[in-house]
Amino acid sequence: MIARVAMGDRSAFDALYDVTSSKLHAVCLSVLKDRPEAEETLQDVYIKVWQNASRYASNGLSPMTWLITIARNRAIDRLRARRSRPAGMAADLAETVASTEPGPESVAIRAQERRMLDDCLSAMADQQAQAVRAVYLEGATYADLAEREGKPINTVRSWLRRSLLSLKDCVSQ
Amino acid sequence: MSEEIPLTPSEEDQALAAELAIGLLEGDEAAAAVARLSEDPDFAQSVRDWQERLATLAEDLTPVMAPARARQGIREKLGHVQAPLAKDLNATAPWWRRPFALFAGFATLAALAAFLWLPDQASRQPAPGQAYTAELVTEDDALRVAARVDGRDMEIALEDGSAGEGRDYEIWWIKPDGSAPISIGLVPREGSLRMTLPEGLDPSEEIQIALSDEPEGGSPTGQATGPVVAIAALTNS
Repeated sequence: MIARVAMGDRSAFDALYDVTSSKLHAVCLSVLKDRPEAEETLQDVYIKVWQNASRYASNGLSPMTWLITIARNRAIDRLRARRSRPAGMAADLAETVASTEPGPESVAIRAQERRMLDDCLSAMADQQAQAVRAVYLEGATYADLAEREGKPINTVRSWLRRSLLSLKDCVSQ
Repeated sequence: MSEEIPLTPSEEDQALAAELAIGLLEGDEAAAAVARLSEDPDFAQSVRDWQERLATLAEDLTPVMAPARARQGIREKLGHVQAPLAKDLNATAPWWRRPFALFAGFATLAALAAFLWLPDQASRQPAPGQAYTAELVTEDDALRVAARVDGRDMEIALEDGSAGEGRDYEIWWIKPDGSAPISIGLVPREGSLRMTLPEGLDPSEEIQIALSDEPEGGSPTGQATGPVVAIAALTNS
């Protein structure tokens, strides 16, 4: 469908919007917690999708991940602009990096990992799982986590890095 | 949060890829990691793997339908439509009331409707054509809202009443399986609202539609925060 959007097919774009907009709206809302801002961000997301669809084929992400990544990055940019912090440029560039098409093997591994993620998060300590969710779904920064936990940023950082690594070990078992 | 043995170099790389994918790096560190993406294919692959892994968290979110004007806004910004369909509620002299403009107005609307409708239909499975209705009325009868579903198209019409100052009524789709209600938009301030049901929302007599009283613009969290003022099941019509 994204390939057809890339060719400028408006009906494919409409159909893509029908199928994905409520999910991407939920992502924007989860980060921004503000209806009008989430709605504006959602519009920006689809404008970007229309403009960048031709670059999708080369980025090696699954379609939904690509869309979610764009929505999340836009929402986080906006969240950080609201707090007058420098925008999260890094992740935004990460979404356009070129790669070769993933082979069927890596597609199967990814599907397997996705099924595992929920189980692995529930198996983690609540505090760790909550921190991972807060960062991904609400755009929390290390500074936010440090404030929440009442610990120095460096401590929180090394703790979260270890949490992410153990999550990876768990899902790729 | 105890300090443990230091990470191995490959663990360091993985942690860095995760931090980049999730957007936790700042400043020089972020710039260095981004530069590495184009030089180090393995690192770039790790970042993509993290993006895939983490996207599952977002896929588990309860969908929240965006208001119809969001799609209209996108179409306008991309130049896919020439004229706005939404009427300006603040307009003092409605142009469509003027007789000479009426005909031209209808012609434009018909052309626009054909443009919006035709490519839509071509790309979609034919609707099953089942029609359902629900009549939502508050206990004191002050608010009446009619919901109609025809195939995948839904219309919400305000028949009587209005939201209080700084408030909006939000419309929720409630499945029989006990899952969280899904927001499908706000009751319009006047007239009716049309939308296409997103995937995963399948009309049946087991579906209930509810209205909750929310701050202007709708619930800030995506879950109902105010009291439910009316609820009704869809009935086959």
